[in-house]
Amino acid sequence: MDPPLVNDSSFSAANPSSYTLSEIWPFPVNDAVRSGLRLAVNSGRVFTRSEHSGNKDVSAAEESTVTDLTAGWGGRKTRDLNSEDDSSKMVSSSSSGNELKESGDKKRKLCGSESGNGDGSMRPEGETSSGGGGGSKATEQKNKPEPPKDYIHVRARRGQATDRHSLAERARREKISEKMTALQDIIPGCNKIIGKALVLDEIINYIQSLQRQVEFLSMKLEVVNSGASTGPTIGVFPSGDLGTLPIDVHRTIYEQQEANETRVSQPEWLHMQVDGNFNRTT
Amino acid sequence: MASADKLINTDVPEKDVFALHFLQSLSNLKTQNPLNSPAKSIDRVRKIKKAAYVSMARAAGGTSRLWSRALLRRAAKDDNKSVRFSRRKRKVTWKISSKRRKSNNQRAPVVEEAAERLRNLVPGGGGMETSKLMEETAHYIKCLSMQVKVMQCLVDGLSQK
Repeated sequence: MDPPLVNDSSFSAANPSSYTLSEIWPFPVNDAVRSGLRLAVNSGRVFTRSEHSGNKDVSAAEESTVTDLTAGWGGRKTRDLNSEDDSSKMVSSSSSGNELKESGDKKRKLCGSESGNGDGSMRPEGETSSGGGGGSKATEQKNKPEPPKDYIHVRARRGQATDRHSLAERARREKISEKMTALQDIIPGCNKIIGKALVLDEIINYIQSLQRQVEFLSMKLEVVNSGASTGPTIGVFPSGDLGTLPIDVHRTIYEQQEANETRVSQPEWLHMQVDGNFNRTT
Repeated sequence: MASADKLINTDVPEKDVFALHFLQSLSNLKTQNPLNSPAKSIDRVRKIKKAAYVSMARAAGGTSRLWSRALLRRAAKDDNKSVRFSRRKRKVTWKISSKRRKSNNQRAPVVEEAAERLRNLVPGGGGMETSKLMEETAHYIKCLSMQVKVMQCLVDGLSQK
């Protein structure tokens, strides 16, 4: 009935009340409240509901139906089964998202008819549009990352709601792969590898080799540190003052390391590993 | 935490800071355990290794990084309880349980499985989301290579004297 309202309500899944209210109850809000209160005299349950969730249930109770729009993330589907006073027509649960099959099943169970929002027919007497369940899955992958707001068709809207998940998933995957390429640049000799699995294997091997190197070097250092008591080694200088000797020591280290960095090229860690009697696991 | 753009090319790990910390802890170890101490060499090796990792974590910015924080926490736990490498109980874990593996089968299984192995390697990786894990892994690799270089230079420089 009122298509531009769909776009507003499609992003606010929490309160579809304004949208359903304006559709189902075309009169002003105050009239709806008043009439809902008039109804609430008859049935106390509706009265409490109208206190809780505002005008939506009131207006729905007037028509003895409840429309429940769950377009949120989880596709949470709550069925409101009020209208105990005259419950001839029950529920039209229009759930969007990736619960198409479930909603299809529910459709068959409930006598209420599922209706798309794009038609503006949140009314239960609108006819079913259950044929779009299969086709929307095909269209959901093809959708743009930024779906335009003109999508008011049923299938497009369903695809959009599902696309939110796939959009998030795609963004996540892009982020991961981007970081993995950056990782690839860090690891020497990893640029030529194609394929995420191989790259990740390489990364893992590299980390393992580095950790083993650390272990091996600490073994060596243990020998040096404990064995070689002579000479100006580490243990000589007192641990308290860091100002005097360690500067010299790590200056020399630094220079050596710079020299090493210039000298040793890419597969340096392989050489070091071979020296340390560690074979590469691949 | 870190911005997504310059996540990998973050600060170059501080060699000087690492060397300083490491030498200090080595000398501490030396003074604590004299040469003919009854401690086995394996224990000494372990202590040296732990000192290396702790100084690497300190040099990498202390608790600013997730992996360094996990390393430091683990080291502190080891100091207190002397339980080494016990399985930590995590509240939030990103490790793939069997149920989760069933649930999101649409994710790339190769990447997730490799990330699972990666989580076992990177300290504190169990609580990281995958992209965060990649980020931390990059920094960890940088620091590890820096550590290896410095330690290699240390060994070289100390053994030839």
